[in-house]
Amino acid sequence: MNVALFALVILWWGLIAYAVLGGADFGAGIWDLFVGREAERQRSFINHALGPVWEANHTWLIFLIVGVFNVFPAAFALLSIALFVPFTLALIGVVLRGAAFIFRYYAPRAGGNFARWWGRVFSISSILTPFFLGASAAAVASGKLLRPDGIADATYIVSWTSPFAITIGAMAVALCATLSAVYLVVEANQAHEQLLTESYRRKALWAGAVTAVLGALGLGLSVSEAPLLWSGMVARAVPVVVATMLIGLATATTLYIKRYRIARLLIISETAFLLGSWGLSQYPYIIPPQATIANSANEPSVILMLLITIACGLAILLPSLYYLFSVFKLPYPVPGLRKSVEREREAQQNDSVQQPL
Amino acid sequence: MSNLLAARAQMGTSLAFHIIFSVLGVGIPLLLCVAEGLALKTKNPVWMMLTRRWAKAAAILFAIGAVSGTILSFEIGLLWPTYSKFAGQVVGLPFLMEGFAFFTEAIFLGLYLYGWSRLSPRAHWLCSFPIWISGLASAWFIVSANSWMNTPAGFVIKNGRVVDINPLQAMFNPSTPYETIHMMLACYVATGFAVAGVYALAILRGKQGEYYRKGLLLGMLMAVIATPLQIVSGDFNARFLADYQPVKFAAMEAVFRTERGAPITIAGLVDQNTGQVRYAIEIPKGLSILAYSDPNATIKGLDQVSRGFWPNVALVHMSFDGMVASGFFVLFVGIVFWIFYWMKKKAVPENRLLLWGVVLSGPLSFLAIELGWMVTELGRQPWVIYGYLLTRDAATTAPWLNISFLIFVLIYVLLAAALVWLLLRVARSPLPKVEEVGQLQEAEEVGV
Repeated sequence: MNVALFALVILWWGLIAYAVLGGADFGAGIWDLFVGREAERQRSFINHALGPVWEANHTWLIFLIVGVFNVFPAAFALLSIALFVPFTLALIGVVLRGAAFIFRYYAPRAGGNFARWWGRVFSISSILTPFFLGASAAAVASGKLLRPDGIADATYIVSWTSPFAITIGAMAVALCATLSAVYLVVEANQAHEQLLTESYRRKALWAGAVTAVLGALGLGLSVSEAPLLWSGMVARAVPVVVATMLIGLATATTLYIKRYRIARLLIISETAFLLGSWGLSQYPYIIPPQATIANSANEPSVILMLLITIACGLAILLPSLYYLFSVFKLPYPVPGLRKSVEREREAQQNDSVQQPL
Repeated sequence: MSNLLAARAQMGTSLAFHIIFSVLGVGIPLLLCVAEGLALKTKNPVWMMLTRRWAKAAAILFAIGAVSGTILSFEIGLLWPTYSKFAGQVVGLPFLMEGFAFFTEAIFLGLYLYGWSRLSPRAHWLCSFPIWISGLASAWFIVSANSWMNTPAGFVIKNGRVVDINPLQAMFNPSTPYETIHMMLACYVATGFAVAGVYALAILRGKQGEYYRKGLLLGMLMAVIATPLQIVSGDFNARFLADYQPVKFAAMEAVFRTERGAPITIAGLVDQNTGQVRYAIEIPKGLSILAYSDPNATIKGLDQVSRGFWPNVALVHMSFDGMVASGFFVLFVGIVFWIFYWMKKKAVPENRLLLWGVVLSGPLSFLAIELGWMVTELGRQPWVIYGYLLTRDAATTAPWLNISFLIFVLIYVLLAAALVWLLLRVARSPLPKVEEVGQLQEAEEVGV
């Protein structure tokens, strides 16, 4: 396997990580709009779920940008020009989401005007960002990103305003909402919050159904609007596409029978398979049909050095990430915890003997 | 505004905004580490109060730093796609490393800022180390990439293509050691004075107690160690620039004609058309001595390149003098502060003039950083990658840059206003009562 392809596979895993971690944070912002009764308690629940991890989750986006910038500099330049508008809008969303979340978190009064307004900004930007990122992805996949003469032109907007792109953008929003709802079910269940658990279970099922419908619609539209993607889907990526659908059904089933931790694992795999099927269908193009892995990759020696750097970086990063999630999210004991937290975890472990994973 | 000017304005505004938060992101974690370490060692709850208060402010500041940094990583592509294609090939490595450093910082920030009630005191304190180390490393990586734009290295242009790429050579280009150290020190100078300034202002407004004195002292300690080193580093930079970036050096010092025994020109009104500097103070032979330790050394003037390749001399010269003046002012304040401190047998000086000087040093050291970056960036114009790519050739072909600039300015104004309002609220919220360290932690957790 050549180094550029290897680097692309790593970047694709980075994309999956951003989707399942960063995407869920956007989803939490969306659910913040639908808190219904007990608004303050729900909001503080979302605050606690996001607070410690959102910045680290957001950093996967930086990893992706820097990775494409390094490994495929020519493609990075083309993407930046052709997707100038949706990228700028997604960027505004990213910025406002992060700032608004932290402003609300530290607002002097939880129900005050400052908190309310920034809470609204938090939610709206959490919808806009995945929408424009999803539409941008669809624009790339459609094979119509660049003008027919192969030139990147910011005013050539048909690619990301097509019905296909808008459907995929909406699906991205729904997927984020689903991911987030499933995570929140698990966390609410761990915290023995019966009402919240039930509420997020219902939300997860609804959002999952919407995602499935939009996904099917997108697949149908791709026949005419993204023929290259479609032919890849029905040829090379068929097993992955079928697996994606089956995992989707399995996720819904486990949610229905209240096996929440299994549902969490399944929705993560669902996202990974979905993005994987896109990648497989599009291979060997970066921007179909003009930019391929071969014609837009950096020199192999440079990529090799980047890969070594990534390996060293991940050697520090992954244990650190594991520690971060262990301290805040997982029920297993790790060194450095307070005695009281350790005891609470042991109690939880005993609780969840009936429910594996 | 032309598209090029709008792109430059947006990039400049974004950098000027982000730099404030990245500087605090390097400096504050070290203060947190020291203060929390002192709290654990001395069991003095005042140190823990300072740590908790700074951590709360840091959580807000660092979030703004993270999002404003994201703007920059997007803007490299959105505003300068041709630059990104060139730089991505050669000098992507430090950007990638900076990405990892930032990632590590974000992970441990999460643990540090939200882990008070979950981590043992010792584990919590240990989490502050990766934060300040990776923050410092980030500064090094990203400034090394900027150094490469000033003195490009590690590639060859053959038939219009970039080949023979050596990313390590690009990262360790000639400017790297000078520029990176100057910026790393600047982070500590500015953070030290900013923190000290906050407590000096509180003392001036009649607040008393150990809390304010310790906050002031720790800030001043960081500043007084970093500032003299920074002045020395500045001198090294000037000597280096005279040889390696002579056009920038000539613009900084407003030297239009190459001459032997050149004087130092301080302040004055620069007229780029006539090459005159009016109302300036001149120190005869000063510049030759400063750059080469030889009163008769030759200093290359702007006449070494044709006029089309001159930066805006008036702006660069003024920025440079402003930076140097601010630097010496804060050095002076730092020295006087510690002389008073030792003369009064380790009592915090209460001289109002001196305390006002400390208050003023905070914004002035940030001003020095902004001006220093204006010297670096404006002094390189019209090039974005010196000698290889002109800024005007690097800009995007996308229209609507004026609108984009306007939108981002509005976002910055909005963020700045909300941030200042929120930080003032945090600062005004009453201090918790001085109790045992452990109790304080538990008590405040409920509030957060």
